[in-house]
Amino acid sequence: MDLFANLATGFAVAFTPINLAFCFLGVLIGTLVGVLPGIAPITTIAILLPFTFSLPPASSLIMLSGIFYGAQYGGSTTAILVNVPGESSAVVTCLDGHQMARQGRAGPALAMAAIASFVAGTIATIIIATASVPMSWLALKFAAAEYFSLMVLGLTGAVVLAHGSPAKAVAMVLMGLLLGLVGIDVNSGLPRMTLGIGELGDGIGFVPVAIGLFGIAELAVALGSPQDRSLLAFKARNLWPSREDIRICIAPILRGTAIGSVLGVLPGGGAALSSFAAYAVEKKVSRTPERFGRGAIEGVASPEAANNAGAQTSFIPLLTLGIPGNAIMALMVGALMIQGIQPGPQVMTEQPQLFWGVIASMWLGNLMLIVLNLPMIGLWVSLLRIPYRVMFPAIVLFCCIGTYSINNSVFDIWIMLLFGLLGVFLIKVGAEPAPFVLGFILGPLMEENFRRAMNLSRGDPMVFVERPISAVLLLMSLALLVILILPAVRAKREQVFQE
Amino acid sequence: MLTRRSTLGGILLAAVSLGAAPAAAQNFTKQVNIIVPYAPGGSSDILARLIGPKLSEAIGQPVIVENKPSSSGNVGADFVARAPGDGHTLLITDVGTLASTPNLFKKLSFNVQTDLVPVGMVMFAPYLFAVHPSVPAASLQELIAYDKANPGKLNVATSGVGSVQHLTALVFTKKYGIKWGIVPYKGGAAAVRAVVANESNVIFNGAIATQPFVVQNQMKGLAVSGDKKLAALPNLPTFKEMDTPVYDTGSWQGFFTSKGTPAPMVARLNSEIRKVLATPEVSKRIVDLGGELKDGTPEDLSKFVTSAIAQWGEVIKAEGLSLD
Repeated sequence: MDLFANLATGFAVAFTPINLAFCFLGVLIGTLVGVLPGIAPITTIAILLPFTFSLPPASSLIMLSGIFYGAQYGGSTTAILVNVPGESSAVVTCLDGHQMARQGRAGPALAMAAIASFVAGTIATIIIATASVPMSWLALKFAAAEYFSLMVLGLTGAVVLAHGSPAKAVAMVLMGLLLGLVGIDVNSGLPRMTLGIGELGDGIGFVPVAIGLFGIAELAVALGSPQDRSLLAFKARNLWPSREDIRICIAPILRGTAIGSVLGVLPGGGAALSSFAAYAVEKKVSRTPERFGRGAIEGVASPEAANNAGAQTSFIPLLTLGIPGNAIMALMVGALMIQGIQPGPQVMTEQPQLFWGVIASMWLGNLMLIVLNLPMIGLWVSLLRIPYRVMFPAIVLFCCIGTYSINNSVFDIWIMLLFGLLGVFLIKVGAEPAPFVLGFILGPLMEENFRRAMNLSRGDPMVFVERPISAVLLLMSLALLVILILPAVRAKREQVFQE
Repeated sequence: MLTRRSTLGGILLAAVSLGAAPAAAQNFTKQVNIIVPYAPGGSSDILARLIGPKLSEAIGQPVIVENKPSSSGNVGADFVARAPGDGHTLLITDVGTLASTPNLFKKLSFNVQTDLVPVGMVMFAPYLFAVHPSVPAASLQELIAYDKANPGKLNVATSGVGSVQHLTALVFTKKYGIKWGIVPYKGGAAAVRAVVANESNVIFNGAIATQPFVVQNQMKGLAVSGDKKLAALPNLPTFKEMDTPVYDTGSWQGFFTSKGTPAPMVARLNSEIRKVLATPEVSKRIVDLGGELKDGTPEDLSKFVTSAIAQWGEVIKAEGLSLD
């Protein structure tokens, strides 16, 4: 079967010493930033993006994706021991995980979180590998019209599934779209909104924007809200969950994996949404819902499985269609473009080594993570004692070096600082930067493909509905919009995000 | 003591160089910057990073490569045009693109012919002229005939509006009365992909980047620009043989320096760079890049620029193209 041949290709790539090393480095950094509250994986990926320029494409993507799913493991450690989520996706883990720790069962909680993540990671890897093959036929069918419709779907999804108010999400997408259009227009060759600044001719660089919004801004906000990081004493001796714990958790882990896998694929979905949904489901199906919030181990297992599965399946739209479903995937697009690879369905056929290598590395990375996280938990915990005043200046310095090194341009550092300020403002007014980034990335591509499709059809707009794939994608976008507007769904949506 | 001796040495040295008259102006006194007006990774960038270290050895001063990327390379060219005229700031750029700017941009901040001083040509890399395999034409003549029978069916993918690829396509349109649509993409790689996917069907693009697709039958090669056949595709005719207009269209890479640089300094730069180009390592790399070594005098480059400005200017004016 093709699948096994493909996975064999992938493992051959992933098992090369250099890729093993970068995979390890990725999950190591991922765990590190996962453990530390205040530094998100997206910040880290944004900062490391410029440094991947000189790496082979596969190594670069293997490392960056390792950071993403690695952080899902690390985030739970902080959640359980400190009651502060290391990552947004670990918020739910605090609920029961920290209660377990208070009852002296921190060991089993940590171990169960890691086991659940590993099981989910393994299943999600298989899902990606199998789901990708049937999608590869799309590679031959995609032209400008299909790309345009796909971008429409991506942006609609970003609005529908964004946290908080849809109005703010729409505003963010539009703002991203507008700023994304700065620079030379591909179809006329004319500069737009450059204010006569030559450096803006090629548009506002993505890396300075991403580092500014996610690096500088998040740090500034984290500094503004000091956290209580008092640790619960914990002994590494009683690490293993009891046989009873494992029996209780099998079904929740599988349910969590299923929920995470589905939600991860949706545009705007990903890790955080998955863990919330999984927790809500477990509470509903449980025969003893009153145990939740008081140290129920399945309340740790299911969301942890879900966030890891969601983190991994969110690669599917990126790897198969080239559209980023969330802000981290948008950064991955940036990583590919730095390497001169235009993300899209052709990546799978033109770069099978890259594609399958990254997928295979995910499973290896999960294996490394379980080794990293269980025996070495004490080390990670001690990291929580590093004061912010040492850590943060170092990070700001890395932001500057990273931004500068892309084009050796001081101008880019100013752009980064400007977007850092903008990011602080956005977070303060409660607008998410994620839809902004999606608009920024997808907007210009959407316009470019729209006008190219019109150029190729000699000005006939029917091309978007006459081509079947394009028509289906547009219908799906319409359906998403209808869902958003339906009052019943709206109430439910608000309820989910409230929880 | 030490100070006095070195002062004495300095006076002696000055006396010697006074005797050698104009030679004093030819010495490199500080770091030399090579400005690449494009993002890292392209031909100009690769050449600059290849030549830089060897030039540094030859002149005894550090040579730094600096990217000042922008479309058309105007930001980098403007920077060199404004640098002091001492020959310590160099521009390596696509000469065809540079020569098209005076007519494409009405508000250009520098004058290509008076603010930049030609130092010498470096390399020529030809374009491959190719179509998607589904296009029923194996030669330019058959392509013209197909277009006559099916007007408006063909689309040419170009690397951007106003690019040399675009201008070349326009020249072919005019000369042969072809009715193809011209579809701009973001760079040559995207244009190649579009033709492989049959979104557009015809392309003029750098031979080195395009020939693998022809070799693998994902595209059908029709011809190669310039006067030399491609080693990888020896059966393709050259533009010169076919007697097409602008037969030498392609990527021409050359060095320029700032206005006011004295002629002896330009001559020294020219001879040092040509010595570097003659080394086996550099000349081999140029062949690897799909190019042909094209060294020459500053006057050769100057003449080339003048004729290219006229050649592309005619097309640009006839089409009413403008990029500002």
